[in-house]
This record gives sequence, structure tokens and C-alpha cells, in this order.
Amino acid sequence: MRSRIRNVLTATLGLLFAATIATAASAQTATPAVSSDGDVVLRVGVIADLDTDNVFAVSAGSDYTVATSEYDMLLKFSSTDLTAAPELATGCDHNDDYTTWTCQIRPGLKWSDGQPLTSEDIAFTYRFVIDNKIPQYKSYFPSDPTFETPNPTTFIWKAKEPTFAPSMPPWVYIVPEHIWAPYDGKDLKTIRDVSQTPGVGSGPFILSSWTPGQSFVMDRNPYYWGPTPALDRIEYRVYTNQEAMIQALKNGEIDAIDGLQPSLINSVQNSPNVALQKVVSDWWLNLAFNFGGQPGSTYTPLPALHDLVVRKAIEMSIDKEAIVQKVYQGAATTGDTIVRPASAYWHLDIPADKEFGYNPTTANQMLDDAGYLDTNNDGIREDPNTGQPLEMRIPASTDTTGAEEAGELIVGYLKQIGIKADLLPATDAKMNDYWGSGNFDAYIWYWSGDPDPNYQLFVFTSDQCGAWSDGCWKDSHFDKLYEEQHTEMDQTTRQTLVKQAQQYEYDQVPGVVLAYPNWLEAYRTDRFTGWVGQPGPDGYLLPTYNYDTWLSLKPIGETSSGGSSGIPGWVWLVAALVIVGIVVVVMRRGRKIEPDEA
Amino acid sequence: MGSRRYLLSKCLQAVVTLWFVLTFNFFLFRVLPGDPVGLLARSEHFTPEDVARLQHDQGLDLPMLEQYGVYLKNVATGDLGESLRTGIPVRELIGSRIWKTVLLVGLGTILASWFGVLIGIRGGWRRGSRFDTTSQYSSLVLYAMPEGWLGMLLLLVFSGWLHWFPAGGYASVDETGVAYLVDLLDHLFLPLLTLTLGYIGGYAIVMRSSMIETINEDFVHTARAKGVPERLVRRKHVVPNAFLPSFTLIILSFGFVLGGAIVIETVYSWPGLGLLTYNAINTLDYPVIQGVFLIASAAVIVANLLADITYGYLDPRIKQA
Repeated sequence: MRSRIRNVLTATLGLLFAATIATAASAQTATPAVSSDGDVVLRVGVIADLDTDNVFAVSAGSDYTVATSEYDMLLKFSSTDLTAAPELATGCDHNDDYTTWTCQIRPGLKWSDGQPLTSEDIAFTYRFVIDNKIPQYKSYFPSDPTFETPNPTTFIWKAKEPTFAPSMPPWVYIVPEHIWAPYDGKDLKTIRDVSQTPGVGSGPFILSSWTPGQSFVMDRNPYYWGPTPALDRIEYRVYTNQEAMIQALKNGEIDAIDGLQPSLINSVQNSPNVALQKVVSDWWLNLAFNFGGQPGSTYTPLPALHDLVVRKAIEMSIDKEAIVQKVYQGAATTGDTIVRPASAYWHLDIPADKEFGYNPTTANQMLDDAGYLDTNNDGIREDPNTGQPLEMRIPASTDTTGAEEAGELIVGYLKQIGIKADLLPATDAKMNDYWGSGNFDAYIWYWSGDPDPNYQLFVFTSDQCGAWSDGCWKDSHFDKLYEEQHTEMDQTTRQTLVKQAQQYEYDQVPGVVLAYPNWLEAYRTDRFTGWVGQPGPDGYLLPTYNYDTWLSLKPIGETSSGGSSGIPGWVWLVAALVIVGIVVVVMRRGRKIEPDEA
Repeated sequence: MGSRRYLLSKCLQAVVTLWFVLTFNFFLFRVLPGDPVGLLARSEHFTPEDVARLQHDQGLDLPMLEQYGVYLKNVATGDLGESLRTGIPVRELIGSRIWKTVLLVGLGTILASWFGVLIGIRGGWRRGSRFDTTSQYSSLVLYAMPEGWLGMLLLLVFSGWLHWFPAGGYASVDETGVAYLVDLLDHLFLPLLTLTLGYIGGYAIVMRSSMIETINEDFVHTARAKGVPERLVRRKHVVPNAFLPSFTLIILSFGFVLGGAIVIETVYSWPGLGLLTYNAINTLDYPVIQGVFLIASAAVIVANLLADITYGYLDPRIKQA
């Protein structure tokens, strides 16, 4: 009997150890064998892995980081204020009625595979986006433009109506025709599934390897047209545990962190040789009211929400400063208007004395005066028109930083003004359901727009009901303001119109802009210098809108190859010998290992 | 022969169970709210038309039963489909991570069961001794302790304070050869330690109880009466019989190895199957979810089958019954 057990156990263990060795061997071939001696390598920790390496399927933050490093655009977002600046084009001129834009393209450009880059590639890319209706990019080409390339260094954009689209600039990465032409006309899934590791681009760094769930690496592009970066390679490592990621930064295993939750600010802020960057916000936390009327919806949201007095009272009952402090640990500013602060040229900052302000007493008074009284003394007001109590179902996205926590505070604030709220935390998958079916009274989610405010204003227009509109708010005056700024060619006039639209939306309260949270980055101050913020010194340090940082980063002192924690090889060898020794001795004694030391 | 029919019927049962699991998994995730393409609306600026278009391209607008039929046919030919998010074939996604899970969880299960059983044997044999009391309480504490918390603690001490080990991840990017092996061991040590400590308690407790029960059996008294030395009583009579429940436990545990250890994987950023599953569920990536659940279920079913078969081999009394 004992020998049977021993047979089975030995066989099992033998098989499993063999599998283990096979594992280590097979796993080794999966990682790239690139020597790094003498190379200048920047190591960045991220919380979000790449979703895709395909520029036509970009989704989350890390995707954009890679795309922005690998590809150029016609014009780039400048680091100072995100307005258009030269990139592939040194400049673009328009004719008098803004229907024709002519851009001068730099001569002698090459792709990372050595092929020439000309105006033809730009025209191809734009036509590809339009013809294949690529969702992320097609909205940058209003009014069916056509493109001409009389010579390799001239690119002409012709529109049927006056447009400022080329100067926004369009956030469309220019791709090589000789790589992508075979996919023109294919279905969307096929286009999105094309693997681009390694990629072919014109930017300073090209994605050379991607191990999903683990890391992605970009190597320097030898054909890049601009100044040669001091960096040879950039390694992004995926961390699923943020505390561990911070630890790795403090240990020196990585040089920078892209993305951190607010509750961990304190563990970074007071560390030696580590600095925190609170990036000026390019998104906002949104409490959106539902006005009903989504196509196919069977839910009737709270009728009282159609009353401006009720919506205003709700806004005044919310202590936005408390949300900033308690939910975001101070890494945010209170919200007011729908165009994010990072678009500094367009964002309307309403002075504090002109805002509704936090005032629950006044809010209660307003509701009393409007007739929403608590007739049965249960702490909940009733609607004088329907007799129904004021109760709200409020889904909150658990995938949006701070949404659920802010929601919990808001339930308390609403209680103070006699409104009962049920918070329904939901993943984005479920939020999407609520959104599409209109099955909510208000929800807490986010919006982040583009540097140009057009898209953000667009989603609030009336015919976006059933498409991008949060709660089907329909206001013809707002629609008019949107149209006016959308067709205004003069930048300064347009700025006025955009601010008017924001003020009007603020006054009508179709939702409440709760906060502008900062994105958080951290970096070691003793490894690299030359971080370029976009936009401005409070902007993203790691490439998001442009790759200026990659061009200006230099190592401090000698080549930085990163510190590493780890037991040196000889310790493992000694340990292995010791274990083997113990096993041999015990086997000789004919007894099993005594586990006292274990 | 009787045992061949027994074997055949067990295998047939396994296949039927697997088919049931496949079907259940397929419909279970499609019943969840939301749809994978609709999720892209907010982050990728998809209009409703874009959503419908991509759904069509991915075959998600076909009638449910038709999708199910396509799925069964693909599985039969070994095609697990492609990730809806990345287009990477599911087989490749699972293949690149399965070994990392097997390495960590498999090795951890081996070590935990090996040491756990030994501790249980010694504790049960010398019941009431100082070793027994200490090991019993330690086992209970470890068994009850949340693995995530233990992991964070070990990370803080060994990586944060002592800098002996890196703060997570599978391996550094650019090592090869022996350096790679050393680097792997550096990254593997802490999660492996956490996992082993987390599982060891269970095995020790089960083995110990079993030992105590078996010691009081009649045949043990007989052996002692015959004058067999204590050492041999333990080795030849008590342990082989007491080991049977633990053996079942161990074999079944190996079945669960492929389920991954998501908490440990998250704490240590270990890119295994557990994390792949979690992300896939969050983004409703049906092919990936189905693929992972298929593999995990198959592993459990096969492990069960193996346990049934080898149990019969180990204990002749079972086969004759």
C-alpha cells in the first residue's frame, strides 16, 4: 500500500516538476531577447494595460500613449495650450471663405521601415477614415471634404462649406499607405483586428513588443525626422496593485507612474526623490438628470426633474468642495461648466460669487416656495402636481474614479432637502444599459471631451437623444448656440459663443458638473530630467497629446538602467544546494523530511 | 472487464458534464446586462450605427441559438475564437498566461500539500504535544487569514523594507538565460510564499484529523499488540489509511489550479488566468470568458476523473466494493 502511494505521488510530482521546468522554458521564448547594456531605458508603471496595438481601435489611456508616440498627425497639439502646432505640416493656410486649406508638408520624411512619407499618406489616411467610417476619427471630417496632393510636400483639404476642421487640429494619426492599403474597404472588425506589433509609424518611438497583461515596450525609431531623443527604449509595466506600483517607484524598479488613485497621494507625496504631478483635469464627474423620451424606453423618470427649481435646488444641496476633499483627497477642483479646464482657451470658469453655491437652507426654501412640501412628515417631499414622493434611482459607475463615493455623499445631501435617493453602483456595462434604456432618474458618470469643445457641446444637443445625450435634455436655445459656434470661423468670436453656450447650460442645470479630478502621475526626481507638461506645467508629463516629453527627457548622471530589487543568483544557487543536501540526507535515513524548520 | 466498463462510464460522464458546462457558460454571460460593443460608445465615440455595424461584423446580432451552434462547432475543431477587444485569438491569450498560472498555483499547491500533509501527520501522531498545539493554531490562523492581506504584508516587509524582492510582476522585460531564471525566481518567491501559506493550513488540518481517527482503529491496536515498532505502525498502517481523504483533496485542488488565484495575481501583478478572466468579465469579452471557463471546467472534470481512477488503484477495497 505504501509503495502504491509512493508510486502515485512520485509520478504526479515528477510530472508536475517537469511541467514547471517546461513552463519556465516555454515562457522564456515569449519575452523578447533584447540586450540592454548601455541603453538609456525609461521604465513606467501603468495601471491600464494596452487594449489594442491598432491605431484604428484605440480606446483607453495606454492605447493613446502608444499611438501618440508611434505616429504623427498633420498638426499636433501644442504643449502650451493644445492649439494647433506644426508636426508633419509646417503650417496650413486657408482661403478667404475657409473652404480650402493648403498645408506644407516637411520634405524627406520616412516611415520607420525606411519608406518615404509624403502628402499621399496623409490623403490616404483621411480617405481611409472617411470611407471606412472609423468611429474614433470620422467626426473630424464634417461636410464630406476631399483631398488633393499636387506634390509630395503639399496637402490640400477642400470642403463644401466653410470649416475650421483642419485647424482644430484633427486628432487623427497618419498611417502608411503601403501598410494599410490592403485593408481599405474591409469590415470594421477586420480593420480593428490587424496586429501592429511591431508597428510602422513616423514618430520617435515604435511599439516593438507587447505581452498582454504584463508589459509593452517601445524602441527608438531610427528614421524619426526630428531631434534624436536621449532615450533608447521605453518600457511600460502593468501593475494591478497600485500600492505595489508605488513601492516599485520608491525602490527604484521603475522611474515613473502613469495613473494613481487619489487615496494613495499621501504615500507618494512625502517620499524622497519622488514627485507627484496633479494633471489639470481633462474630464469631469457628472450628475446627469433624465428627462425621459429615449426611444423604446418604458421608464418614466421623476416628473419633478422637469422643473428648473428642483434641479437648481439639487445643485445647491451638493457640497462640491466636500467631494473634492473627501473623494479626491484634494486632487480635484470643484466643477461648474461642461468644457474641461485642460482646454483653457475654451473653458468658462464661472466666478465663485456667480455660481449657485452650496446652500442647503436656500435650497429647502426654494422647494417650500415652489410647493414641494412634506405633507405626511416622513422626511420626503411630495410633488404637488402628482402627489408622489420625490424619490430617485441613481446609478453610479464603479469604473469611474470617485463616482460611487461621490454618490454616497449625494444621497446624504438629497436627504437634507427631502429627496429620497437610491444609489445603484454599476459597472460600465450595466451603466450602458441604464443609459440606453433611460431606466434612471439621474446617474453619476463622466465626460471627457477633446481639446476642441465642439464634441462636448454636441452631446448636449436635442437630437442626440437616444445617441450620446445623457438624459435627453432638449433645449432649442442651446441647440442654436451650438450651431453658431460650430459654424463660426473667427476664433475669437467662436470663443465668446462657446462660453455663452457653457453659461446657458450651467443656468439650465440639465445636470451638475460635480468636480474636475486630476489625473495623477508620479516620477523619480533623481533619474531623468526634462519632463514637458501638456498643456502647460500642470499638464500630463507622460505623452498624451504629443510626444514632446520623449524628445526632451535626459538621464541625470550616467546611463540609468534602473535599480532592481532581487536576490542575486548565487543566493538561489546556495539555497538550491542546501535543499538538495537536506533531501539526500533524509532519503538516506529512509524517513520523510521533518518540517520543523519549514 | 468490470474496471474497463467503470472507466468508460466515468469518461462518458466527464464528457457530458463538460458539454453541460459549455452550454451553461455560453448562455450565462449573455444574460448579463450590457453588451460588449455598446461599452465602446462612451470611450471610443461609437454612434448607435457604429455599434450596430461592429456587432454585425462580430456575429453578435445573429439569433442566440445560431451563435450557440457556431460556438459548439468551433470548440469541436479547437477554435476558441478571438477576443472582442483586441482580436487576439483566445487560444493565444490563454496560452501565454496559462503557464504562468500553472507555475504559481501549481507549485504553490504542491508545496502546500506536501508540507501541510507532513505537518498534519506529525501533529496527529503526537497529539497534544507542543508541536501539535503550535501547528494546529498556526494552521487555523493561516487558513482563516485573507490571502490578499497576507500578500500585502509580505510585499511591504520583503520588498518595501528589505528590498529583497521586486514589488510585483512576472519578470523584467529584457533578461535571457540564467539571468532570466534568477529574475523569474525573484518575482515568483513572494507570491508563491503567500499562496503556500494560504493553502497549507487546510491540508494540515485535514490530515491531522484523519490521523487521529485512524490511530483509534482496531487494526492499529492489533499492530501494536503484535509488537510492531511505533515507527512502522505509523508508516505502514496509520499514514496510508489516514492519507486517503487528503489525497482526494489534493487531486481536486489541482483541478482548481487553472481557475487561477485572482487575489494573489492582483496583489503581485502576476499576469495569470485569474486576472484575464476578471478583465474579460468586466468588458463582456465573451470568447475569452468562454475559453477560460472551458479550460478551467475541463481541468476540474479531468481532475475528478483522475481522482476516481487513482483512488481505486490506491485502495483495493474501493475497487472491490
